[in-house]
Amino acid sequence: MDEFAEMAAREREATRIARRQWFWLHFAVFMTIQVFLVLIWWLSDVTYPWFIFPLFGWGVLIAAHAVYAFVVKTPEEIMIERDQHRSGGRQ
Amino acid sequence: MTWLLDAYSDSRTYGSLVYSLLGLPIGIFGFVVVVTGFALGLGLLITLIGIPILVATLLFVQAMAAMERRLAWSLLAASMPRRRSRPTSDGFFWRRLRDLVTGRQTWREAGFLLLRLPLGIVGFTIAAVILGLMFGGFAMPINVALGVESQIGSWTIDTVPESLFYLPISILFLLVGPRILLGWGQVSARIASSFLGVVEPAEMKKSVAETLARAGQADAFAVFDELQLRLGRGPFLTPTKVEATLLAMESSGVVRMNRSGSTITYSLNDGELSERR
Repeated sequence: MDEFAEMAAREREATRIARRQWFWLHFAVFMTIQVFLVLIWWLSDVTYPWFIFPLFGWGVLIAAHAVYAFVVKTPEEIMIERDQHRSGGRQ
Repeated sequence: MTWLLDAYSDSRTYGSLVYSLLGLPIGIFGFVVVVTGFALGLGLLITLIGIPILVATLLFVQAMAAMERRLAWSLLAASMPRRRSRPTSDGFFWRRLRDLVTGRQTWREAGFLLLRLPLGIVGFTIAAVILGLMFGGFAMPINVALGVESQIGSWTIDTVPESLFYLPISILFLLVGPRILLGWGQVSARIASSFLGVVEPAEMKKSVAETLARAGQADAFAVFDELQLRLGRGPFLTPTKVEATLLAMESSGVVRMNRSGSTITYSLNDGELSERR
């Protein structure tokens, strides 16, 4: 791997870490607010579980964010990884 | 505390305020024209009148996106490439029309204009509420002194001591308000950059080919520096993108990779080079 490829790899790693940190921050906000909503529900009217609507609505967004943070790769990342596999560490 | 007050001396705070307040009228205008244009154009497509309507709508999208790009760049310091990403927009009318319709950039811009309405509503609400909370508490005693009553629910505020109730809230928002505005501005700048500040792969390849044609032979650092001079700095131009572009050009046979030890240099293939000359 030449110096530029090393720099690019470091940049990809930094982006990956930042993406994951943003996800965990989002998750912490989500959990705090959901616990707060369940508490309000529990302390007031427990007959109708209205808190499930924000839980599922926001939950879908959290799931999408998790996929983006941990699974999705950009076309450039895929191309570079394929090249590295093809060359078998030639660089 | 300094972190909060620093927002007052940051010009992007005021830019964000203007951008947020402008967002609502611009968002409504863009959304209405785009939705009406596409609905009308697609609906009338069978009578052929729909074609010019659709083309006019796409041209409107392009013009609005150019204005949005300038707004985001000047008010929010959003990173935007210097060169507009339309590599094949020269040529005959039909070719330009085809590029307009099939270009990813056009549809990304249309998506941004549709998204601008909900974002504009959120931004305008944030700006209006923050301004109201920042200055409302100071205005209320003046109002009461002038004989104007204020109403909060069933509570009528008509004496000066009562009117001081809002003062601590206003003082709090004088501290945190500008920071919230600045934060929203940064979120808006990122959204605008991700939709409007994109360098298409074709434009990237064209710029790399031009750089290599001029330099003859260059390593990836030199190519990266030259691209930064041409396009500017920002998330649209990263080492990963340059590396991927060089790899793609090498695998398609446009660029030749020359290795000597751990150093890799790139040059255009002879055929490509003679074509450019």
